[in-house]
Amino acid sequence: MPATRIQLGVIGRAHGVRGLVKITSHTAEPVDLTAYGPLSDAEGRVLSLRWVADGVAEITRYIDGVPVKVTDRNAAEKLTNTKLFVDRSALPPADDDEFYLTDLIGLAVTDKAGAAIGTVSIVHDYGAGASLEIERKTGASLIIPFTAACVPTVDIAAGRVVVVEPDEIIVAEDAA
Amino acid sequence: MARSVWKGPFVDGYLLAKAEAAKASARNEIIKIWSRRSTILPQFVGLTFGVYNGHKFLPVQVNENMVGHKFGEFSPTRTFTGHAADKKARRG
Repeated sequence: MPATRIQLGVIGRAHGVRGLVKITSHTAEPVDLTAYGPLSDAEGRVLSLRWVADGVAEITRYIDGVPVKVTDRNAAEKLTNTKLFVDRSALPPADDDEFYLTDLIGLAVTDKAGAAIGTVSIVHDYGAGASLEIERKTGASLIIPFTAACVPTVDIAAGRVVVVEPDEIIVAEDAA
Repeated sequence: MARSVWKGPFVDGYLLAKAEAAKASARNEIIKIWSRRSTILPQFVGLTFGVYNGHKFLPVQVNENMVGHKFGEFSPTRTFTGHAADKKARRG
């Protein structure tokens, strides 16, 4: 099933003496870390960021709904390694035939007959089309191209994908 | 030093035979190859290759923009720590 919260970044070390911190963003465009609404830490405490330089941000914490800016280095150092999350629902809807990787990872995999194969463990995408790595219950993992022919059904709501394993081309020259 | 133009692009012979077989069959097939050094030719467009990276055969769906590149460029050999959290995958 898709995760309800997604980690989008992490707070790094303190920067300067005025409460600024370095930020590691896990979004495709680093500045998009602040584009998906309020962030929260692992315990659910709400934080907001304001970029002041490349990779450096000012943090505002919300204590009982009241915004409190982090203004000194000691407070900033306490935030180091704080993971920043956003609700999955905050991400904009994907286009047709487009899926967030975070939604695909963890889905149950079945064949056309409904027999369980395993779960999606990794989505590879290195510029030559996406592919799903399926962790099988037994044996080695299986990697299949993320195409309509190999993955005819993707049902995020039901938490499953249907895959058709492609055949392998074997020619006579291979035997030599 | 760049390869001489008069030689033409380098492609391992077995790969051409497999590509022809795949085009002829027109089924849902993957061509497993070890030849990362081979150049992607125009006749490979539309086919899916499984390019070995020393560990796994990573699927490479060939499109026009990849012609002239080597297969190995699309199947990284080093450990990849993960894609962006908001990255999307398009079904081909």
